[in-house]
Amino acid sequence: MDKVKVEICCGTSCYLLGASELVDIELRLSPDIRGCVEITGRPCLELCERENIGQAPYVRFNGNEIMCAATPEKVMARIVELAGEGGSSC
Amino acid sequence: MTDDPFIEAEYCQFTKNGQAACGDNVQIMKLDDGRRLLAAVCDGLGSGVKANVMANMTGVMSLRFLESGIVDIREGMEIIMDSLPMCSVRKISYSTFSLLDWRLGELGRIIEMGNPAYIHLRGTEEVQCVCERKIVSKHWPDREVREADIDISTGDRIILCSDGVTQAGLGSGGDLAFGWRRRGVLACAQDAIRANPDISAKELARVIAERARDIVPGGCLDDITCFVCYLRKPRLMRVLSGPPFYKERDAEFASLAKALGEEHTLVCGGTTANILERELGRRIEISMDDIRKAGKMPPAGTLRGVAKVTEGVLTLTRVTEELDDGNSAEGQPGPVSLILQMFDAHDAVEFLVGTMVNEMHQEPSMPQDLDIRRTAIRRLANILRRQYRKRVSVKFF
Ligand code: FES
Repeated sequence: MDKVKVEICCGTSCYLLGASELVDIELRLSPDIRGCVEITGRPCLELCERENIGQAPYVRFNGNEIMCAATPEKVMARIVELAGEGGSSC
Repeated sequence: MTDDPFIEAEYCQFTKNGQAACGDNVQIMKLDDGRRLLAAVCDGLGSGVKANVMANMTGVMSLRFLESGIVDIREGMEIIMDSLPMCSVRKISYSTFSLLDWRLGELGRIIEMGNPAYIHLRGTEEVQCVCERKIVSKHWPDREVREADIDISTGDRIILCSDGVTQAGLGSGGDLAFGWRRRGVLACAQDAIRANPDISAKELARVIAERARDIVPGGCLDDITCFVCYLRKPRLMRVLSGPPFYKERDAEFASLAKALGEEHTLVCGGTTANILERELGRRIEISMDDIRKAGKMPPAGTLRGVAKVTEGVLTLTRVTEELDDGNSAEGQPGPVSLILQMFDAHDAVEFLVGTMVNEMHQEPSMPQDLDIRRTAIRRLANILRRQYRKRVSVKFF
């Protein structure tokens, strides 16, 4: 089973609007979930220049799913959901 | 221009135990686009605040005299000695000094009064001066000024110290009955250069000053100052920030980005980073660890083998403030510390600034952000040039 991939945007707009709140999500996940995710940063997801999309900060899951106005709680909840969907092997 | 020899002039200083201010003072000034160096190492009599003021006055005045060229430096010396306040008990009160005035391609001039004699090294060999004169002060016959013309070629180093260095350990017996002495400093510099032939002026000054401080336990018994200047091939770094105005130039921009290697290249800005990823077909790595180390700042990442990568405007603005305040890399958030260390380890900084304006910044709701990148980089470039004596170029792309 592949790990859940989480990419946190580390660009200007996202940091201005609170991406730094996400720094400790990995540590706040339960150890078994922690083993199931891979969290990295991205320079700029290039969503900040797009219109008709929710507010920064942005987080991307598994390379295609975008979360707007990301908060630690929202991101952690989504990680738990996705890890659950992936089955128990992870 | 970027390959012209560069004068790296740096110093390291420790304050005498228990004193609030250092009684030594160093002034360094670069003129004519970095082709002329003026430096003064002054040691105010005694220690503490009074010594500091005296050393400072001497340093600032002598550099002004040298810079203006209006007053002959010998006359200048008389003016300085006449104007410094005098101790009513000991009837002496002045600052000893070493001055260096040197224009690339010409003989350098060293003027010393009371300070330990300068050291001139070519590799590990000591170089003798071309000619030497002794001048006795008209008003202060007990004070002798030595003047030497020196021929400095690329790779040479000049070391100037306060007597806190040469007299370190004084009276502690054995080899140190008379202190570390000039020959101790010389041997220490030679060892350091033998071990690392490219050792920077900053590092060599640190090695010498720390050795003087630690030669006997108990810390600094006097103010310790070591100044080193090194005529070197400049260590070049490149900073790329902002997407090029014309998309067609992205490839050229990318090839400039990978020319110097990871240790010497910095990419500032998310969009810029994305362009380089696309052009070079490599991914930027930003780990969770990088994110944590950055604290509240956007983290730094790596484009392996090519560059260090950071966010743009927030990071550069913070770095500029830290530099302006004279703060070091220590204790700073990851990306700020990274950039400060990179500037510290290079002599010449080339900024390549892309001028395409971000959509976001064009919104009329954020007019103050227009051109924010260019303004931020101009300010940073000026500080590096003026306060840190770097050779800086800014090219718009
Ligand atoms: S800064 Fe986050 S998408 Fe651009």
